[in-house]
Amino acid sequence: MERNILEIKNLTTCFFTDDGTVKATDRVSINVGKGQTVCLVGESGSGKSVTSLAVMRLIDYAGGFIQSGNVMFHGQDLAAKELDEMMHIRGNKIAMIFQDPMSALNPVFTVGDQIAESLMLHQNMSQQDAFKKAIEMLRMVGIPAPEVRVKQYPHEMSGGMCQRVVIAMALACNPEMLIADEPTTALDVTVQAQILDLLRRLQKELGMSILLITHDMGVAAEMADRIAVMYAGTIVEEGTVERIFDEPRHPYTIGLLQSIPGFEGERGSELYTIQGTIPSITQLPTGCRFHPRCPHSIDKCRKEEPILREVVTGQQVACWLNEDVSNHFRRNQRTNSVAGSKAEVNRQ
Amino acid sequence: MTEYLVRRVLQAVLVLFLITVVSFGLMHAAPGGPLKVMLSPGMSPEAQLIQMKNMGLDQPVYIQYMKWVGNLLQGDLGHTFKNNVPVGDILWPTVWNTFVLMSVAWGLSMLIAIPWGIYNSTKQYGLSDQIASIVAYLGFAMPTFWFGIMLQQYFAMQLNLLPLSDMWTMGKEGQLSDLILHLILPVTVLTLVNIAAYVKYTRASMLEVLEQDYIRTARAKGMKERRVIFRHALRNALIPVVTIIGLDLPTLVAGAALTESVFNWPGMGRLFVEMAVAREYSVLMSITLLISLMVIIGNLLADLIYALVDPRVQLGRKGGRAA
Repeated sequence: MERNILEIKNLTTCFFTDDGTVKATDRVSINVGKGQTVCLVGESGSGKSVTSLAVMRLIDYAGGFIQSGNVMFHGQDLAAKELDEMMHIRGNKIAMIFQDPMSALNPVFTVGDQIAESLMLHQNMSQQDAFKKAIEMLRMVGIPAPEVRVKQYPHEMSGGMCQRVVIAMALACNPEMLIADEPTTALDVTVQAQILDLLRRLQKELGMSILLITHDMGVAAEMADRIAVMYAGTIVEEGTVERIFDEPRHPYTIGLLQSIPGFEGERGSELYTIQGTIPSITQLPTGCRFHPRCPHSIDKCRKEEPILREVVTGQQVACWLNEDVSNHFRRNQRTNSVAGSKAEVNRQ
Repeated sequence: MTEYLVRRVLQAVLVLFLITVVSFGLMHAAPGGPLKVMLSPGMSPEAQLIQMKNMGLDQPVYIQYMKWVGNLLQGDLGHTFKNNVPVGDILWPTVWNTFVLMSVAWGLSMLIAIPWGIYNSTKQYGLSDQIASIVAYLGFAMPTFWFGIMLQQYFAMQLNLLPLSDMWTMGKEGQLSDLILHLILPVTVLTLVNIAAYVKYTRASMLEVLEQDYIRTARAKGMKERRVIFRHALRNALIPVVTIIGLDLPTLVAGAALTESVFNWPGMGRLFVEMAVAREYSVLMSITLLISLMVIIGNLLADLIYALVDPRVQLGRKGGRAA
């Protein structure tokens, strides 16, 4: 068995709002093994980013806090650490990259400065050595003429180039774990594929684990070993990429997969959508959080909240309909094979 | 860069020319005029005419203007109507006096307001932030002359701690300690007003920057909070603050008319008021010219510093790639 590098256990996070404290995530558990990529997927507002911020304890700066639960990293509980202690972990052992590369870089410092800064802080490098390493890092992420680029400012680069810089910056200290929060969302599709390729290549070279946050099932199919599906602050389904794509069990996961536009469907046929919108965290429905949008909900779903439990090896789901595995609702599911989704991404 | 500077200087000359034309015209169009001040009541019309000729006021305004410009280009600022004193003799000591007062007040306000604004941005709505708000309200709302008089009333009249007015005690001219005592009250008034503005600008600018993604990136890199604030945030937050402070530069020479008048400070602000009442055209024109020059220099400096602190700004390039 692979040992898990990161174990998020029953993580509940809250935010201070005008209406008091509000739960943003509720008892979220995710494990990331060594060298593994785990994708956290879900709609906007489902709590994906909050979970990632909580792991880094950056949530403390965003007006929120960890109410309960653990974030175990190498046997240490990050959730219980003082913020000062987190400084040695952030950027050093766990690095993070964000959605919009153009705004993630400080406009008044050169990219070399910004990469070298981490190295000087965490690895006690001299400024000269740190700059040499920065050039090396830029070369590694595929930036041409890194000796020139290292002295440039972020505004002198394109979005894709900036994301490469951000990745170089994150990986400079050779972290064991990379958290990537929608790293390709702000980029156009061709650049998106390049960045994903780059991440995969670097993961192999450096042997790091990745927690990838995305709302794009195509990206998840492309990258993930395991997938955790989040809805309204909870994990509704978790499993290996094959299980999730071949035999999704939660109606929400099924809905997500059905709403990927396919190439096989008839021209002009309407794209599948999940009815309704994700509930606000201040007004969660009773019982299962998905039941108002669920086409199969039964009485029990309105009353009791299902808990995540393993239904088959390598797949957990939180749904009352899955109590009986052979439940009727899975009859007319479409099967969305991993191979099919990967092919779509590649064609893009 | 050189091309840019040359262009700016040429623009400045044009602007200065227009300013002198307009202010010369306005000054002469204003009712009253030096004659009303100079003439004794009951003077005969003939005597009045002679007086006008002596003062050069009988000629058309544009001729007077051209004469003034001609003299100016030869370095002659003109003479006062009264006693025929060279303008320079009045002007330069006053400029220096004002500069002493204003630079102390300006420097002090920055030293206090910028660190205070930074601190308040990290402790939003904390005690210090609330106090700063009160100071800002007072600074904006209180008329400076009233606040000056209150300070005089309390510290000079009642407590007898500080001199009431003027720049020096008679007989102690040139003593630094005496100057400092005289500076305290007017500097307090001026600093309060400046702090009110600067502390709010700094705080607002910092708060905006602290929300930015790159601050989150810096934290995600494991930077200590101090470094996040003073390196990553401050450099960005100061960009607009520097501009505002740079635009205040002309007041270093222009002075503050009300405060100088209340404290009888022999500076430019007070001089301008006095000379306006006396209709001393040459002095007024010289002051206007000097202040205009400072405004232009202040603007240019603000632009230069702006380009220095923000790599996205490139002077002299139209539509750069600035984000």
